[in-house]
Amino acid sequence: MIQIVISIVLSLAVLAGISMMSKVKSSVAGNLLSACAMLCGVIATLCFSHVLSAWTIFVAMIIGALIGSLMASRAQMIQMPQLVALFNGLGGGASALVGVMTYMGWGMEAPEYPMFVRFTAMLAIAVGMITLVGSLVAAGKLHRILNQRPVVYAGHSLMTLLSIIGSVALIVLGTLYGQSWCVALCALIVTGLFGYLFAIRVGGADMPITISLLNSLSGVAGSIAGMAIGDLFLVAVGGIVGASGLLLTQIMCRAMNRSLMSILLGGAKKSSSKPQPQQTLKTEEGGKTVFAPEADFEKLLEQLNDMEVQQLLNAIEALTKEVSGLRAELAQQKGAAPAAKTEEKTPASVLRDAKDVIIVPGYGMALAQAQHTVKQLVDKLEYKGANVRFAIHPVAGRMPGHMNVLLAEADIPYEKLFEMEAINDDFQKADAVVVIGANDVLNPAARHAEGTPIYGMPVLNVDQAKEVIVCNFDLKPGYAGVENPIYTRETGVYLCLGDAKETLMKIINEI
Amino acid sequence: MIHPLILVAVFIVCTVAGYFIIRQVPSLLHTPLMSGMNALSGVTLVGALSATGIALLSGDGIWAQVFGCVAIVLATINVFGGFGITHRMLRMFNKKKK
Repeated sequence: MIQIVISIVLSLAVLAGISMMSKVKSSVAGNLLSACAMLCGVIATLCFSHVLSAWTIFVAMIIGALIGSLMASRAQMIQMPQLVALFNGLGGGASALVGVMTYMGWGMEAPEYPMFVRFTAMLAIAVGMITLVGSLVAAGKLHRILNQRPVVYAGHSLMTLLSIIGSVALIVLGTLYGQSWCVALCALIVTGLFGYLFAIRVGGADMPITISLLNSLSGVAGSIAGMAIGDLFLVAVGGIVGASGLLLTQIMCRAMNRSLMSILLGGAKKSSSKPQPQQTLKTEEGGKTVFAPEADFEKLLEQLNDMEVQQLLNAIEALTKEVSGLRAELAQQKGAAPAAKTEEKTPASVLRDAKDVIIVPGYGMALAQAQHTVKQLVDKLEYKGANVRFAIHPVAGRMPGHMNVLLAEADIPYEKLFEMEAINDDFQKADAVVVIGANDVLNPAARHAEGTPIYGMPVLNVDQAKEVIVCNFDLKPGYAGVENPIYTRETGVYLCLGDAKETLMKIINEI
Repeated sequence: MIHPLILVAVFIVCTVAGYFIIRQVPSLLHTPLMSGMNALSGVTLVGALSATGIALLSGDGIWAQVFGCVAIVLATINVFGGFGITHRMLRMFNKKKK
């Protein structure tokens, strides 16, 4: 009985800790409260299951604690998304292992409800393995170990379907017949395969959604493992985590105007026909002319089977390299600096006179590690008396709130950061807008270009601003593969192409 | 053992409660929230601990130990790493206030 009371109190403490995280000021305390509740939960478990004399668990805990703390304190802020994904996966893996143990009947008395226990144990294995493998793939993609583009194998959908059927069959089999090594191992392999197949075909811009979905899954896995071993605290906290991940996923899906299913299944087909996910091709430039994503072109591509698309992609890649080489030559002839479009005004002069500036950061800022340079720009502008604000699109970056963290790292006060709804009407009033490594989130094509992946996605109204300074790496379409009309606007657009850090430094020095 | 229906009910209640509380978190804090949640998902450590402990005490064999200890190591990495990162991130947001 007292166990149940303690579980309830600790679960409430966790909830309180989370609700404290809704305000910046109380968030540190909230995090510590959740951590303390967790610590108490661990201690309570140790006492109540009478396992204090089992020495191996302490050794294992110390090893894990050392590794975890070391990774957390050593990691750079830029590595945050992959680190979150990695930790997440490990939690899922742990749940899967707990599932295996319970299924094999290790570490528990003979259960009163054997069917329920076996069912939840199998489910924990499935969800846990999907989380583990999916997160590892996601982390690998974010860390650039794996290809960041959506990878689609021949017969990918069929394999996915088969692995789903296999998983369901194994769960049923496991529920009916307990303690079989064979079933447990097969379940680990088949569900892991599904996790791999589903994560490998997600690329670039869909990463934030995938990560928060996996986050949700790891909570659900924990919760189900809790059901299997009959631990209330585990069920409760897992449920909370599951809900939060799902909510974040939902928020981001809405922000991108895409359904979850289309990202997980249909999305891959669409994105694989877009030859140029922005972030993968850092060295390649100027694919723009080659792939105006005409509707016909897309249709044609979609008709081709996956293998041919791959071949085509390779050919295109070679072409873009060639084009970028030519471009570089051209730029050299012109005397470097892909210059501003208008005659007298330069980005620096516009910013010099601007009193109201809005900065729009995107993943490019994260890639170029330009947040500290951005901070210098802000300081300089504010020193001249300008009002500087940031417009943050809900899906800018590679995880929810990615931009906020980077800007916070650069000491930019969070009062200056505004969500899309709060600032969207101010773009037309602003004297200047600086875009740093963002593309799709401000693409006005999203409002009218029907049939494109971003159609209907709410975007920042950058196109309504009088003066727009674009500090992007290049002009090729973003991840969604849709041309951005802002780049070709006649007046009031200044393109500063290249590494955001360098172009920004140049502007700062000229102001 | 607690009745399965109670467990499922607890799961549902917590899901709903979590959903409503988390809805109030501004997108500014979504990354720390996510990484905090991530740390919390390591709560499966609790399950790994009790299962491994009991397995050791009741002599369930070497494989139970291997699986259990790996589970504990993974879960503790998740917990410590997750809370550590979240703490670092939140401190950055609060730097100016100190």
